[in-house]
Amino acid sequence: MLHCLNGSGNLGASCSDMTVLERQTKWQQQQHHHENHQPYISATEFHVNLVFSSSSSNNHPQSQGSVMARDGSALGEVLAHSVNPDPGFCTELDAGFGSSSGFLPKENIKKRKAQNSKVAAESDNKDKRVKMSGEEGESRVTNQTSNKNGKSNANKNNRETSADSSKDNSKISEVQNQKSEYIHVRARRGQATDSHSLAERVRREKISERMKYLQDLVPGCNKIAGKAGMLDEIINYVQSLQRQVEFLSMKLAAVNPRLDFNIEELFAKEVFPSCAQGLPNIGMPSDMSMCNTPSYLQFNSTQQLVSCCGGLINNAGMSPPNMGLRRNISTTPVPLPEMSLDSSCFAQILPSSNWEGDFQSLYNVAFDQGRTASFPSQPFTGLVESSNLKMEM
Amino acid sequence: MRNINSVKREFLKKWMWGIRKYSSQKKNMSLLERKKAIKLSADLAMASTRNKTTRWSKALIANASKDGNNKVHTEHVLGSSPPPRRVRKSSTNYSHGTRIRSCRNTWRRNRAVHRPKDRSVASFIAKKLVQKRTRRLKSLLPGGEFMDGVSLVEETLDYIQSLKAQVEVMRCLVTASELMILNPS
Repeated sequence: MLHCLNGSGNLGASCSDMTVLERQTKWQQQQHHHENHQPYISATEFHVNLVFSSSSSNNHPQSQGSVMARDGSALGEVLAHSVNPDPGFCTELDAGFGSSSGFLPKENIKKRKAQNSKVAAESDNKDKRVKMSGEEGESRVTNQTSNKNGKSNANKNNRETSADSSKDNSKISEVQNQKSEYIHVRARRGQATDSHSLAERVRREKISERMKYLQDLVPGCNKIAGKAGMLDEIINYVQSLQRQVEFLSMKLAAVNPRLDFNIEELFAKEVFPSCAQGLPNIGMPSDMSMCNTPSYLQFNSTQQLVSCCGGLINNAGMSPPNMGLRRNISTTPVPLPEMSLDSSCFAQILPSSNWEGDFQSLYNVAFDQGRTASFPSQPFTGLVESSNLKMEM
Repeated sequence: MRNINSVKREFLKKWMWGIRKYSSQKKNMSLLERKKAIKLSADLAMASTRNKTTRWSKALIANASKDGNNKVHTEHVLGSSPPPRRVRKSSTNYSHGTRIRSCRNTWRRNRAVHRPKDRSVASFIAKKLVQKRTRRLKSLLPGGEFMDGVSLVEETLDYIQSLKAQVEVMRCLVTASELMILNPS
């Protein structure tokens, strides 16, 4: 049995200022107040009232959807939507909770969570409406079942989309009112309405949303559908990235025996003509595009390798990084007996999960080289060291 | 999302600054020391670009500060070293509640007897796999031991982005340095 409360001035305070608890107490107050005055409205008229409650609505902007749960239905459904619906709305959905009135108490599914608060509504499911509204800015409004009144449907959609658009405001207010807040979640048809399982479901859906973002970030995760596989890929990717960092820092240490990264010189060279202007001592040029011109670097380095290192370099084949092919930097045997590697293959680094073994061996090689060889500060020490770091894909 | 180029720029700036600080203190470092210095400066720079908005960055800085060898350098790099009181407070805040939680989790895990009750064995196995991998991911992430599911995924997201940026910047620097050597003119 429904019971539409006219929004009197009691609910005049904006949703964002009240916690749900306060709102609920107000509902109950109103319910008691109106209980004797208004006739019970049947379910079929419910939707009509939803739409045409403009007659009874006053000017207060909130239309909090709290529709009372009816008796006689199997599911308790709680409509959760944003705290701050569109002020333009005229649908009035207030109703008291069944628990305090003489109605048969529906399963009031209320959960207390410290983070979110949403306005709860328990609605009749005789019409088999199943709705889940979004949380935290991601709205999943699934209006799965038909509604007897198409208009009310449209209104509901509008309300929810506008509610979602104003979720940011509600979020701020939610953050402020974190003390005693409830999460009101609608249980889907055929699912358990236990409060624990609802909480579980909310949590699971949050996690799966985030995993979707991760899918875009981690390469190769698109095909995998399943938490375990995706987690595996993520783990591999993070490990490979961390190893890359290790390897690159080792390489940098090898290249620079004195740890003097002369960024100004780097930019002043021909190599970076675009960034060669007035560098501050430590700071970077404002439009440093060093990291955005790797292809330019590659090509330039090819020429330079060929030209200035002449006899030292046998063959230097470069490929643009986009193609992801190997880049060979080979040196003639420099007269250091410990390191007589002819060539080192330098694959363009593409993150993939095949790296683990290679990186491991590579790291060990570098490590050993670092220990055994005594490095005189020769001009080509850096080059030789770096060329000895053999990396294969 | 943040502008990735500005993040890279900021990272590079801080990184170079950290390295310079390091090399001004110590001369004639061995290869490994250099590598450690580079890596540490890079990690700190990356964490500080987040400006302590994420948990992993806080954890990374906290771990670096705790390590005796790096402590001084960390404080130098991070600008004005925070007053010791604050550092201690943050570390205890970080450790106290979370240590209890981690102990409880371990205890629960060791104690619970898992039996596939009425569910199928397959789903039980799947759940176990997911748990195992979550644990592994937590071990990878700095400060990840004490995160719950949702925040773990968010932190992983952010961490991966930062790592990617870091790797790209380092790679560029490596290439540039090599070119410098080959073309000293």
